[in-house]
Amino acid sequence: MAPLPAKVPLYEINMTLPWRLPVPEILWFDGKLRVWLSAQDKPAPLAIVISGTGSDGNNKTISVLRAALYGAGYHVLTMPSPTFSGFIVSASSTGVAGDLMQDGHDLYAAMQEIIAHLPRKVRITDIDLLGFSLGGANAAIVKSIDASEGKLKLHRVVMINPPVSLFSSVGRLDRLFSATIGPGEMGVDLLYRRLYAQLANLYRASDRLELDENFILTAAAVTLKTDAEFSQAIALAYRLQLVDMFFIGDLYAKTGVVIDPEHRPKVGDSLEDIQRDLRAKPFADYFTRVFAPYYLKRRPEATSASLIAANRLDIIADALRSDGDYYAQTNSNDLILNRRELDWLQDTLGSRIVVYDHGGHLGEIGDRQQVADMLDMLAGRWPRSAP
Amino acid sequence: MKTAVVMSVGLLALSGCASQMVSIRTVPAQTPAADTAAALANAAAFAEAVATESAAESAAAESASGSPTAVHGGPEAAPLLTPEDAPPMYTYDPWERFNRFAYRFNARFDEAIFLPVANTYRRMPSPVRAGVHNFFGNIAEIDSVINYTLQWRLKYGLRSLERLLINSTIGIGGLIDAATKLKLPGTPTGFATTLAKWGMHPGPYLVIPLLGPSTLRDGVGFLADYGAEYGINVVGLYRGNVSWALGPVNAIDQRANIDFRYYSGGSPFEYETIRFLYVRRRLIEDVGLHAKDRPKKPAIDAPAGK
Repeated sequence: MAPLPAKVPLYEINMTLPWRLPVPEILWFDGKLRVWLSAQDKPAPLAIVISGTGSDGNNKTISVLRAALYGAGYHVLTMPSPTFSGFIVSASSTGVAGDLMQDGHDLYAAMQEIIAHLPRKVRITDIDLLGFSLGGANAAIVKSIDASEGKLKLHRVVMINPPVSLFSSVGRLDRLFSATIGPGEMGVDLLYRRLYAQLANLYRASDRLELDENFILTAAAVTLKTDAEFSQAIALAYRLQLVDMFFIGDLYAKTGVVIDPEHRPKVGDSLEDIQRDLRAKPFADYFTRVFAPYYLKRRPEATSASLIAANRLDIIADALRSDGDYYAQTNSNDLILNRRELDWLQDTLGSRIVVYDHGGHLGEIGDRQQVADMLDMLAGRWPRSAP
Repeated sequence: MKTAVVMSVGLLALSGCASQMVSIRTVPAQTPAADTAAALANAAAFAEAVATESAAESAAAESASGSPTAVHGGPEAAPLLTPEDAPPMYTYDPWERFNRFAYRFNARFDEAIFLPVANTYRRMPSPVRAGVHNFFGNIAEIDSVINYTLQWRLKYGLRSLERLLINSTIGIGGLIDAATKLKLPGTPTGFATTLAKWGMHPGPYLVIPLLGPSTLRDGVGFLADYGAEYGINVVGLYRGNVSWALGPVNAIDQRANIDFRYYSGGSPFEYETIRFLYVRRRLIEDVGLHAKDRPKKPAIDAPAGK
């Protein structure tokens, strides 16, 4: 582990954005964009961190990065992923998340609003951008947008475990889901029953009186013994985030997959059956039944194939190749990349990418080497000259 | 004094409700270095616990595979639960409409008043907060003694009684949790657990306004606990000059010690998730309470908790 500061101050910022679409009644709690700021009390560069698929701006991974960056002297602003429910409702101009360019524009606009409203005492000397997982791709796209619009003058970007092709990465996670859990709700039910029985047996054997968080963590360590079980956990976590995005997309785009546009659910209505329906649906269903219909209607020149092609990092290949301010960190065993995609990243970024030989997707975050490399990249000390 | 408190709570509430474009507020700082140290210490303790528990588990699995009626941990223990013993994923929630509105009310109240007040309270020096927490914990110990007795778990009842005596004396009226330092950790119980021990089902899921997720059984238990404390009226607290402040201070202390934020995950299905987890946790605790009985087969298709 990298050394960590003793104390990281935190502001929570809630914003109503002027371009927000009308907030559906059942999503009343998602109307404001919520971001977090840790400010230095002297002039300093600002590091903006974008979260991974479906996650908010204050999770465990982000806290690790925040601590490292704050300890290194940055103001740190952490933002949710544009695929996070709270972002889609409060900051998306479409309500249909997952389009790299559209999400990039929404993120870029939100960043401008936030920075314009920061307290005066936060004196910013420079702005850098980081993102992990999908957030890495988002960060790179936002920088490329800024390169032409120039409103924020974003300096360097570090992508941590970014995908190259969004849709082939999620396709891999969907296959992991059907391979380890099962194709539909049946598999989820079996997994739940097994976990329930294991947890109950452990609890009964433990002679403990309260089923608290510590106990559940211990039990998880016992239960998740094999790689297959870890894979199940990853696949399920990813699917649950997709369920939220799918639901909101269907609601906004009025595509009627699980929500009748004429009879939208209200606050007192049960959503359990809708949730069960969606849990059985892979990303491919979101793409063909919500995403593609929505964007094909608005972009007459587009086709399904062109929508897929537009969701690859290589749409900014020239910038990635020629602009020395793009950096990346990844792992050779990252499950969201295949060999060809990793080769493409290495070929495009050259010496500006570091590939760790173990750790897997996001597994190296917070490690001493990863933090040191990330800080050197952000400060322009990369590639290091040989010691 | 009373008016001042009511007014300042009201002001805080108004400031939370104001519909401005941007609100920036300080939230408790993160302490990564200390957190990591604590996590490492926990991990060591976990590793040990895991080693013993998985040994117990595999021993049990071996004996279970030997014969279908084999028992776990001694001749009086019941057989292990199998996946078929798990209740269905549906949860018994006949009052769902009311519950959903109550859940929204609670989320709004928490966001506008409860959480901001608790966060302000968390800026007080930690010895003060620990004192308040221990004080209320010590009062609740009386209820634990009563309920452990009603549950006929006298070993734990005796431990609660020892804790009560030690903390009320050496612990200066409960301000210091001296008993935990003497290796007598607190394990509070209440009437809800007593009802469970007596064989009562959790009953319908119930979201209680201001209090949060519960079940009918737990709600009744809460009322009984409060009634008992009110009836005993320790040192005149519940019916004296300061009794009006007691409930709020107790509530703020409890809220400040719970790391939960409504809708922090942004999910449209948070109600479903919390209901699912709450009721499963209760049911597993029930399994633990009835460790010596054979698990009841859940009725096919009956939602969990019914």
